[in-house]
Amino acid sequence: MKRKMRVLASICALTLALTALTACGSSSTTKEGTPEGTNNTNNNNTNVSTEAAKDTITALLPPVSPAYQENFSQMEKDFNALYPNLTLKIEPASWEDMTQKLDTQVNAGSPPDIAFLGSSGISKYVEQGMALDITDAATAEMIADFDQAPLEYMKNGTGLYGFPAYMEVHALGGNKEFLEKAGIDYKKIQKEGWTFEQFREDIKKGVVSEGGKTSRYGFVFATAGVASKDYLAILVKSAGMPAAFDKDLKFAYTSKNYLEVLKDIRVMIDDGSMPKELSSVDAGKRWNMFLTGQTMITGKGLAVFENSANKNNEKIKANDGSAVKGSIPAEYIVLPVPSFAGQKAMASAVVDGYVAFRGKKEPTPEHKANVVKAAYFLASGKVAATTNNDLFAAHITKSGKKEAESMTVNRNPDNVAAVEAMLATASPARPDIPTDLGAKAIKLEDEVIIPKLQALIAGEITPEAMYDAVKAAAIQTFGEDGVVKD
Amino acid sequence: MTQIAKPIKRRKIKGDSGAGYAFIAVALVIFALFTAYPVLSALIISFQKYMPLGSKFIGFDNYIDSFKDPLFWKAIKNTVVYTVLTVPVALFISLGVSLLILPLKKKLQTVFKAIYYLPAVASGVALSVVWLWIFDPMPNGIFNQLLGYFGISNVNWLGATSTSMFSLVLMSWLSSHGTSIIIYLAALLGIDDSYYEAAELDGASFLKKLWYIVIPCLKPTTLFLLVTGVIGSFQVFQNAYLMTGGGPDNATTMVGLLIFNNAFKYFEFGKAAAQSLILALIIGGISLIQFKFLGKDVEY
Repeated sequence: MKRKMRVLASICALTLALTALTACGSSSTTKEGTPEGTNNTNNNNTNVSTEAAKDTITALLPPVSPAYQENFSQMEKDFNALYPNLTLKIEPASWEDMTQKLDTQVNAGSPPDIAFLGSSGISKYVEQGMALDITDAATAEMIADFDQAPLEYMKNGTGLYGFPAYMEVHALGGNKEFLEKAGIDYKKIQKEGWTFEQFREDIKKGVVSEGGKTSRYGFVFATAGVASKDYLAILVKSAGMPAAFDKDLKFAYTSKNYLEVLKDIRVMIDDGSMPKELSSVDAGKRWNMFLTGQTMITGKGLAVFENSANKNNEKIKANDGSAVKGSIPAEYIVLPVPSFAGQKAMASAVVDGYVAFRGKKEPTPEHKANVVKAAYFLASGKVAATTNNDLFAAHITKSGKKEAESMTVNRNPDNVAAVEAMLATASPARPDIPTDLGAKAIKLEDEVIIPKLQALIAGEITPEAMYDAVKAAAIQTFGEDGVVKD
Repeated sequence: MTQIAKPIKRRKIKGDSGAGYAFIAVALVIFALFTAYPVLSALIISFQKYMPLGSKFIGFDNYIDSFKDPLFWKAIKNTVVYTVLTVPVALFISLGVSLLILPLKKKLQTVFKAIYYLPAVASGVALSVVWLWIFDPMPNGIFNQLLGYFGISNVNWLGATSTSMFSLVLMSWLSSHGTSIIIYLAALLGIDDSYYEAAELDGASFLKKLWYIVIPCLKPTTLFLLVTGVIGSFQVFQNAYLMTGGGPDNATTMVGLLIFNNAFKYFEFGKAAAQSLILALIIGGISLIQFKFLGKDVEY
């Protein structure tokens, strides 16, 4: 009995050890040999001999709009109805783990065929050789369907790496009631814009203080967490620096205008128009501050915030306890970012879209064509119309605009006009910036600019000290001749 | 010349040895797969510019770049400061709590052990969310409300370089002592009562008993907790990642976070691997020093 037990235990132990080994081995159901002879994802170059050969396209998609992920199964069905030989397999991801999930798959050499990401993220995948250039696979009809400006954002160098889903502007958002109480002619500002000097005076009017305690600030912008990059990046665009590099590919943030923006950032806090704790205010916090009436203007503002504010207003009306705690009815007004240092205001454009990827093996032309079909399906027509309406975002495809005609959206027409005006002056795409320069600029931003900005906002360094630190790091990274000197 | 063939000696697996090998195989295979192989891979990658479609050998460039990088040195300095401020205090708190629990009845001891161990079971992310709430910079934040009762104005806990590191240290002081408390308590229960009885006969006070009996008898436990505490502290990542992201002004960028950023933010896996190995060497060196100076008269 004792011996039997020993043998049994040994078998169990060996089985456990072998299981660990087996788990690390390559599976027979990997992309090379998918069930039913389908040609799954980009590693495969077998089993596709005719145009109607079966193929599976994988897509990693976050909740692009509030209702986006609810429509996944319908999207898969519609795609299959359009192309009966093709299967669209959507893997949902949250915004929080989207990048990490994608990066892990990319670095393992087996990314999805399509992933939804910001156009600014394309360069790092191009640098790795993992983004798929679809220039030769995208048909003329597909290209003609898109507005030119957002499509340019999906380019890097001469390559096209996907299709845009929407083009948005990073603006500001105001509480209509508070703006009116402060005597601010927001309609005029929506049409004509404002200078920093005008903005500074206006946000002072929005501050409500009593006994040394501020119950409402004039302006609160999220500067912590994932939003940490936004604040300065958005403001400098309206200070004559639409991109990190000028047209001669010199690093732009060593310009004197950059210092002016830094001074203006500090002065708004010193005025008391912005909270001194701004360096800890993240995106969630400042939206809560907007809804609870603790700020007159908030940033960054996206068109979809009007939708969020409207929904919260409905919840307040319903009085069922589902509204944000302590929130007040707030009518969201889209406002442009002011101009700095006498420069022309330029809205910060954000283009997100469906980027195509390749695996370790070169995909077959057939599979590439199928990936392009799937990306186009997601970025145009009914899917784009539904998603962009849900986001209150402008439509950027002819097919999307046509589909949207029959859909109703409850938007403030002044806001629609303001967004359209800003889109007209939005910062243009810069596919000419080489990927290595872009990667260096991102690292400099992460390791020097954002940390120093946090210290500046916290009042621990002066604008001049931050400017000097950025300039020194830029010269070290790009060389004396690689930076703007004015 | 003819050679006489020697009979090959075959080692026979006799008796219990087969079962022994089988059991060892489990640990060995798991160790080889999940520890030895990644370490070897990291070593190889540290000499490469890693690319998914084919890495390139670049010699010691990743190591040289790391040593030249001021942020790497700042991260090491931050990690050392964090370790120095957290580990000794954690040991002190754990020992103190264990001494308070020791005289209690067994059932009550179990209750307290469970209470103190509970945070170890909770998700680190969930705990961080709670701490973010506690460190809310606005006047209505929990800590700031406490300060408000004493007439002190609100503090920007995580948003200022002067307070961000202290905030992470404070968070460490006030949480996660459960394991150390249980280990200390087990060691305290292992001290023979005859020592205390003899000391009492000699009229020794509580402090004398603590100094001459408890602390020497707990030396192996303290050394173990110190070494593992320092190792854990040098590898700290989660707190900085979730609470401050390394900011402001890189004041809370620890080596672990820097390695993570290099690997997963900038795809510089070679540099990250090189920095991981440097960190491993530092930890190994410190552990050796601890054993040499504190482990002289420790018996295991």
